[in-house]
Amino acid sequence: MTDGLAAYIVRRLLFVPITLLIVSLATFYITRWGPGDPVSVYSGQFRDEEAFDRVRHQYGLDKPIIQQYGIWLRDVVTDGDFGVSFRYRDRDIPEVIGPRIWVSARLGLYAFIITFLVGIPTGIYAAVRQGTWLDPVIIGFFLLFQSIPVVVAVPMLVMLFAVWLDWVPPGGFDGLVSRSMLIPTLALSVPGIAGVARLARTATLSTLHDDFVRTARAKGLDEATVVFRHVARNSVVPLMTTVVGLSLVGLIEGALFTETLLGIPGIGSFIYEAVRSQDYNVVLAVVLLITVAFMVANLVVDVALIALDPRVRDSGSVR
Amino acid sequence: MVLAAAYSQVSEAAVRTDSPMGRALRRLLRKRVAVACLAVILTFYTVGALAAWIAPYGYAEQNLDASFEGPSLHHPFGTDRNGRDTLSRTIFATRTTLVVTLATVATGSILLPLTLGMLAGYRRGPIDSVIMRVGEILASLPGLPMLVLISVALRPRFAGSATQEGWVEKFEDWIGWHGLTSSGFADYFIIFFVLSLFGWVGGARLIRTQVLTMRGSEHVLAAEACGAGTLRILFRHLLPNVMPLVIVGASASLGAIATSEIGLTFLGVGIQPPHPSFGALITDGASRTVLENHPQLLLVPAAVVATQIFAFNLLGDAVNDVLTPRAR
Amino acid sequence: MSNRLTLAVLGVAAALILALAVVLIVVVAGGDGDKDTAGSGGAQTPSASEDGNGNGDSEAGAGELRLRGDDPLTLDPATAQDAGSAFYIVEIFSGLVRLDKDLQVQPDLAERWDISPDGKTYTFHLNPDATFHDGRLVTAEDVKYSFERALSGSTASIVAENFLGDIVGAKDVSRGRAEEVSGISIAGDTTIEITIDAPKPYFLYKLTYPTGFVVDRRQVEANPRRWTNKPNGTGPYKLKEWRLGEEIVLEAYDKHYLGAPKLKTVRLELSGGSALIEYEDGNLDLTGVGLDDLPRVQDPSDDLNAEYHQVPRQSIDYIGFNTTAPPFDDEKVRQAFALAVDRKKIAEVSLQGAIPTATGIIPPGVPGFTSDDKTYGFDPNRARELLAESSYAGDLPEITMAESGAGATVGPTTEAIVQFWREELGVEVNIQQAESGTFFSDIDQGRYQMFHIGWIMDYPDPEDVLDVLFYSTSKQNNTRYANAEIDAMLEAARVEQDSEARLATYQDVEKRLIESAVWIPMFFDVAHVLVKPYVQGFEFPPMVIERFRDVVVQR
Repeated sequence: MTDGLAAYIVRRLLFVPITLLIVSLATFYITRWGPGDPVSVYSGQFRDEEAFDRVRHQYGLDKPIIQQYGIWLRDVVTDGDFGVSFRYRDRDIPEVIGPRIWVSARLGLYAFIITFLVGIPTGIYAAVRQGTWLDPVIIGFFLLFQSIPVVVAVPMLVMLFAVWLDWVPPGGFDGLVSRSMLIPTLALSVPGIAGVARLARTATLSTLHDDFVRTARAKGLDEATVVFRHVARNSVVPLMTTVVGLSLVGLIEGALFTETLLGIPGIGSFIYEAVRSQDYNVVLAVVLLITVAFMVANLVVDVALIALDPRVRDSGSVR
Repeated sequence: MVLAAAYSQVSEAAVRTDSPMGRALRRLLRKRVAVACLAVILTFYTVGALAAWIAPYGYAEQNLDASFEGPSLHHPFGTDRNGRDTLSRTIFATRTTLVVTLATVATGSILLPLTLGMLAGYRRGPIDSVIMRVGEILASLPGLPMLVLISVALRPRFAGSATQEGWVEKFEDWIGWHGLTSSGFADYFIIFFVLSLFGWVGGARLIRTQVLTMRGSEHVLAAEACGAGTLRILFRHLLPNVMPLVIVGASASLGAIATSEIGLTFLGVGIQPPHPSFGALITDGASRTVLENHPQLLLVPAAVVATQIFAFNLLGDAVNDVLTPRAR
Repeated sequence: MSNRLTLAVLGVAAALILALAVVLIVVVAGGDGDKDTAGSGGAQTPSASEDGNGNGDSEAGAGELRLRGDDPLTLDPATAQDAGSAFYIVEIFSGLVRLDKDLQVQPDLAERWDISPDGKTYTFHLNPDATFHDGRLVTAEDVKYSFERALSGSTASIVAENFLGDIVGAKDVSRGRAEEVSGISIAGDTTIEITIDAPKPYFLYKLTYPTGFVVDRRQVEANPRRWTNKPNGTGPYKLKEWRLGEEIVLEAYDKHYLGAPKLKTVRLELSGGSALIEYEDGNLDLTGVGLDDLPRVQDPSDDLNAEYHQVPRQSIDYIGFNTTAPPFDDEKVRQAFALAVDRKKIAEVSLQGAIPTATGIIPPGVPGFTSDDKTYGFDPNRARELLAESSYAGDLPEITMAESGAGATVGPTTEAIVQFWREELGVEVNIQQAESGTFFSDIDQGRYQMFHIGWIMDYPDPEDVLDVLFYSTSKQNNTRYANAEIDAMLEAARVEQDSEARLATYQDVEKRLIESAVWIPMFFDVAHVLVKPYVQGFEFPPMVIERFRDVVVQR
């Protein structure tokens, strides 16, 4: 059994470099395929195609794309050099990206905490109230919030908290521990609550009726112990891993909008700016980074599901 | 995996009854929530389809003498900075949602997953590997940044420019009918093209798994033994059994598609001005002046968007409940 | 039932405790993390702005100016080509000459210069006290090196040829045909002779641009890629700190050859909440004001009104016609389009009166500017007549106007303009938004029929807009306008030594261009700013020139 799991993980890990290679090649092509190029973007109103060509030649942008890719790949593999950022010409790409990842990661973490803080108790409560009007109303309430696109939610939150209540500034970034974090945290966490709550509800419902819970009850254990010892362990833990993995995707997309709308210097607004200004190498580096994060998260979720789900574990069928 | 297991039960249920879809529809219509959602969606779709006749003003029609007017009889939801009627712009934005959701569902949630999923599941071998590997790579890409990236790269090629023909114009020349470009067709097309490109993977996977299971069933084996061709097996025997999956997938994707369109437009890579979209309305509505002094310019489109997508999502849930016994 | 209730309450309580624990861990662990990133960023000084709402701001003593800024694209003077980078570079580096606040050329590294009678050879005498920030004397050799480095292909500067290309032999270096610029010769430690290819009165203006600023050869060659993180310049300020996206601190170079700057420190916040709120809270000493806040600061009863200033900027917003593309190859169509737009109304409504309508092509502050309106007024009847008289009457091709931009909406003015054409001329004009890179290169290639764009003056001379944009073979002639008469006038103005006659020629060119409606000049630009009363001597030059040296901050 463990052998099967180990082999599975190894197989998945082997696939990582191959995926990265294909993703980088595809992204490389798409970015350079687009019209215009960074030289043209950053020269602004100054137009001199001959001068552009000289600079393009200097940066190797006049070579065939596949050759440029070869050079890029070689530099990445041998020196860890991701190339020049045209927007931050005096810095290396990791140096530029690092602080922004930190901002987004912290923001994402705040959002996760709120999501679970509200989502799990809500889900458990709804499960316990199954059959009453409260159950669908609670879930429906959060589903409504899930239905509001982040792009719409952020201005509405600004209107509520900054304009009407005047609690927080209407945008900007005052540091990670400040009032200005309220709106982005809410915007990123609220859409996830419904998902977590529903999963928590389903998980609680199914485990509440599972054999081993019935056995535990039959053994005379009191309800609270049953819930914590059995229900929580068997439903909440796999739930957490699943949701963490799945929400990573939503978080990154949400971050793109939230950070752009509110002017927060995180990785979401950063990649958007980089795409718009055709800062090829930065786009490539960030896309690869997020791809790695996705793949790792997916792997962790899948492994956790296999390892924790007794049905999957015992059947021994790992794909 | 869990989902796949759940979906395999769908098919068993489906096989046992003679008309699974009919029964499912009846069950769906017994759900009050589902009926309400259907009604809301149909209303919006009707309004969108009839936008040109219903809307009191054109979406770009401005009146600089009526800038930022409050709600009145002439303008029930007021006007924006350039004196354009908010109600009319909202109605036309609904039309955009209609076009984009329907086109993307048809391609990205039905046609592509069905074709690729059935192909992969039934033919297996290298075709299966290629389709599934491509899907895995697409799934591991950061979706939104890639959508933006691809839209940026594609747009000039689709839409062309004044002196350089894009694909759309070439297509127009070819069919001999012009009018796609000025209708903003290129924008819609880019939106549903990029959304479909990333949207088919999940559905195709489920369908493939389903087809794989079905493939060894006595039912199909018997048909093969009788000498039925590939197409016949796919359409007569496999298609009916994967339809529930397709419908669940399609209805679940409606909300996500509408959301994506708004997001892409907001980021400037979706519907281009002056063509109306909720993304544009929200962008206008998010300015400080509006937030402080003319909240209806944000709240009206926001409420419509929230209602629409809420209805899409609830309907998706209801369909899922009806067609997936385990979740009931 | 009661069992279930207990269960629910317990569940909620447990989740809350769990979450609280996580929050605590995050906050504690997060505090450490902050310092880690600051350390790895290469900047060590802890800052008051790190974690909160400005404790420590009160410590800021006299002699510190705090404002908002942006990360520059680069601090390398040779490659910088944007105002954002130049803003810092003019403080940290310096060149032979500079512009003063009235945009006159003043001595800088060169304390004086002689011009040969034929107007082609400039002999610069360097200030003998001029030093780099590390104390080394600036020599003629440094100037020569800096020019040649800027021109050299490996520096990859787009603008070098534009600003230094008038020097004899400069293009040989930029095209890789020579290592040294033949027109530059060293005539002693502090004397340098520069020969240009024709007597060009604006040559000194070009030298005020960062491209020709002096850099430290040893530093550049020791670390070609990263030297700008701690540049050893010759300007009045040293770059004390640059934490990407957070803060840039400039510190006075007390041994500067033109005397120690009066202002000790300039602190530029690169991110933060609403600038206006920070200004009101006293965390910023000056700030720009956005359109949304304009009505408030313009209200005389508001406290902020006394600190509000309008600063004209030398730039113009215009609609350019591609004069070779139908239908705008017909002058009458262009005139009709110009006459059909009520610019005053648009400025008043769509822009809330924030900026004035343009009176011509030459922006205010540039020699040759006059305030009388030379442009076409709003006359829809005349517009329709002209359109009917044109060769495209009743048979207009599809028209698209391009605009640089990203976002779901184009600027409010563009939509309003297009609507005027629709209403007054019955012409449907499509709007096409394009990424700035695509936009500019498509304009270069004449791909648009018309475009909405702006022009920011690089130096205060009408040549910089009229010759650069309308001379028939200019690389930047985006309207593809070709008129032999205009060309002849522009050529004459280039070498005209009498400045009044020269300006008169330019004004004549301007008038003809407007009459022919090559452009619809739309708006001039104005910056709206708030400055604290205790900041003295801060001026808002219309161009990027050094500005901090004489500021006095006395709180």
